Amino acid sequence: MKINIGNNKTAVFVAIPILIILILILYGVISNVVAIGSEPPQVLLERPDSKYDKCVRDTEYMRFHHWELLREIRENVVRYGKRGEEDINKCKECHTSRVNFCDQCHNAVSMSPDCFGCHNYP
Amino acid sequence: MDRRDFIKTTGGLILTVGSGTYAFRILSATGVSVSDTDNPLIGKKWGMVIDLTKCRPDCTDCLTACRTENNVSFHGDKRWDNHWIRKVKIEGEVGHTKVEKMVPLLCNHCDNPPCAQVCPVKATYKRDDGIVIVDHHRCIGCRYCMIACPYNARQFNFKNDEDWPNEERPKRSHGVAEACNLCAHRLDVGQMPACVEACQKCGANAILVGDLNDPVSEINRITSTLSVKRIREDLGTEPKVYYLGL
Ligand code: SF4
Repeated sequence: MKINIGNNKTAVFVAIPILIILILILYGVISNVVAIGSEPPQVLLERPDSKYDKCVRDTEYMRFHHWELLREIRENVVRYGKRGEEDINKCKECHTSRVNFCDQCHNAVSMSPDCFGCHNYP
Repeated sequence: MDRRDFIKTTGGLILTVGSGTYAFRILSATGVSVSDTDNPLIGKKWGMVIDLTKCRPDCTDCLTACRTENNVSFHGDKRWDNHWIRKVKIEGEVGHTKVEKMVPLLCNHCDNPPCAQVCPVKATYKRDDGIVIVDHHRCIGCRYCMIACPYNARQFNFKNDEDWPNEERPKRSHGVAEACNLCAHRLDVGQMPACVEACQKCGANAILVGDLNDPVSEINRITSTLSVKRIREDLGTEPKVYYLGL
């Protein structure tokens, strides 16, 4: 069976954009697959003679879910007025530098959260 | 049981169980997600009394204290300056004598807040203790609340302010609306708002904040025995800022 897709010119006009999009998608996938084994960003975990000997959650949780914890704390504080021990202001008591801590991962994955427009973090 | 009956019974069963669970989930999800016993705000109702007979016309201590406590943006240019509390001169005539009064104006923390009703994203809302507050994380800057508020208590952050007087507290980035939050962060931990402390420090002691639901509180005694006025009571917004000697 012969599929009629018009003359050759139309075929070119359809095929080229599809090809470009495919290449872009493939680039995204492949570059991510390649990056899996590469070095993770180096984060300085400062711990200046602080009164805390560990973080509020374990490292694995904080690495992948800290925004969920922050969102939970935010909801409790803003909506229900529960100002407890866990506080965004407390993070900076151990992780003193934003450039050496937050920004390292955020830059590596091209995230730009706007926490710091309003919350002070030196 | 023939085939037809079997299909009928199973279908009916699935429908009942499914809709039952769904209804239960919807019904149990209404209201606040924090249970009432868990919520420290329930039962309180913060209010404020401003005694104009004690307030000094030329004093601006509360304004400065508010600005430094809450990082309210101040550029020295009235197009962009925000005021959570401001002083307004009111002129009128009593008999044949002219009277002039400087009245501190702030968000009245209405019991029936028009600003919260119009907010399309529920960024402005009334907390369970009666404080009307803006969740600036959620504000989209549509400025409906500024139009809805009959007291002109809301301002918009047109510009970022570089100053950061109180680094413990957040400031607001460009593009959100804001108003007085009755220093909710201080009330939550048992302190009095910054303006109240400043007013006590300067000796005038004209502002009082207290729990209107508490029958023995000082504020309840004042509002129930002395002649207090609220601004534009006719609007039905039920403001919770009372004025003595207005
Ligand atoms: S005074 Fe204005 S901003 Fe404050 S609660 Fe009432 S309507 Fe909202």
